[in-house]
Amino acid sequence: MQEFLQQLVGGLAIGGIFASLALALVLIYNAMGLVNFAQGEMAMLATFVAYALVSQGMSYWIAFPVTLVLAFAGGIGVQRLVIKPVERAPILTLVIITLGLATLVNGLAGFIWGYVPRSFPSPFSSDSVDLVGVFVSYRDLGVIAVSGIVLLAVYLLLQRTTVGLTLRAAAHHPEASRLLGVHVSWMLALGWGLASAVGAVSGIMVAPILLLEPNMMQSIIIYAFAAAVLGGIESPPGAVVGGLIVGVTINLAGAYLPFVGGDLQLAVGLAIIIGVLILKPNGLFGRAAVRRV
Amino acid sequence: MALLELEEVRAGYGPTSVLHGISLEVPEGGVVSLLGANGAGKTTTLRAITGGVRWTGDIRFRGHSLRRMATEEIVRRGIAHVPEGRGICTELTVDENLRLGSHLRRDGPEVKKDYDRVFEYFPVLKQRRRLSASTLSGGEQQMLALARAFLMRPKLMLLDEPSLGLAPIIVRSIFEIIRSINETSQVAVLLVEQNARIALDLSMTAYVLEVGRVAVHGAAAELRGDDSVRRSYLGY
Repeated sequence: MQEFLQQLVGGLAIGGIFASLALALVLIYNAMGLVNFAQGEMAMLATFVAYALVSQGMSYWIAFPVTLVLAFAGGIGVQRLVIKPVERAPILTLVIITLGLATLVNGLAGFIWGYVPRSFPSPFSSDSVDLVGVFVSYRDLGVIAVSGIVLLAVYLLLQRTTVGLTLRAAAHHPEASRLLGVHVSWMLALGWGLASAVGAVSGIMVAPILLLEPNMMQSIIIYAFAAAVLGGIESPPGAVVGGLIVGVTINLAGAYLPFVGGDLQLAVGLAIIIGVLILKPNGLFGRAAVRRV
Repeated sequence: MALLELEEVRAGYGPTSVLHGISLEVPEGGVVSLLGANGAGKTTTLRAITGGVRWTGDIRFRGHSLRRMATEEIVRRGIAHVPEGRGICTELTVDENLRLGSHLRRDGPEVKKDYDRVFEYFPVLKQRRRLSASTLSGGEQQMLALARAFLMRPKLMLLDEPSLGLAPIIVRSIFEIIRSINETSQVAVLLVEQNARIALDLSMTAYVLEVGRVAVHGAAAELRGDDSVRRSYLGY
């Protein structure tokens, strides 16, 4: 039982990381009806920026918000320079562009920092604390806390502020929003900035676990896709719940299913994607697409 | 100087031209209706005003040309456009839709008064504030669209077929409220309608469009009294 609870907490920690990246995917999906395949690579680049700042001697808790601000600005820049010029292009064009962007960012990071994995600092001690008989590491608790705070902040921004309201309106109803005086194009850029910053959190949280290198996010993005699809691709709360479920599932599968172990966890993530798409294509929180004809 | 002036406006979609030189005026605080058969160019005229379709000629609002202005900017100058299909954000709640109407305003106490007015006009919206706008009936959605436009505190409202698909009793109450908004808040209205009779009752002047041109215009009372106009263009 104790081991089970420990695995559960570990799963929630990794799930929080998936949830952040999944939320980033959902934010972009809502804004343009398309998954940003470069989301993981953008998060990886942001993590390298954080790494560079910390290596320069900046304290972790200053480098962290500075990186998020830079990631936010970078996300807006990508939308303005890369996406906006082609926003009316067919969906397949946009898919190829985000795939190209992923390759470009990956190559850029490799060019600057190389492909040798580097250790990335964690601000949390690797000790464990005894919570009524269950040993939980401070790292897991710290990751859960940081992810929780970031996700809560995004929720409050979207649901409780005027900017959040206009952002949601612009994403779902661009024509109607324009007639209400909303600067739709800038709202979409803001969505990209927000997604980029939230994605960066997942990169910074996962780097101490996986070691930092340009291909670090390539497995994480699969889990994030699984989480977003499970939650229903359009639903921000769905992405968070999906992320936690995927995190706990792969952790428990790795611990208790001998044939999965550490090697087949990614296959579990892919199985979740396929399973959801076959059995419940709208996910847990998604609505059935209804179209009047 | 009229509040809104259209001068020889031509517009269309791609190679198809729809408006072949429309000129019309909406005076400050006035109610003007735009009548005519399907496909005459009524909706396109409204869309041209708020920049939803490319046009040539000139459109001036409060003396300034709207040429090459983005929809957002035109709207921010004081034009509320309730489009065909009402433009309700069905992903959002009733309350959020209303807040989108007032989100650019900085006159807090006045906004609060306007919300009170809105809920006086449309008590049903107050009851449904927290519900998704997608749960509203057609008539309630029309009320929400009108309420949201009112909360923008515009100088001019463009209303595209507010009676479409609604029961006659609801149409009558909605037109009463349009009249009251016009009279008490000095909001000018440019009204597109298929239902000529009810539109003429509300309007001071009217323009009848026929395939992209103004066929007849004049005081609403005159058009209503003119049998030949009524039979040829208004269909009642």
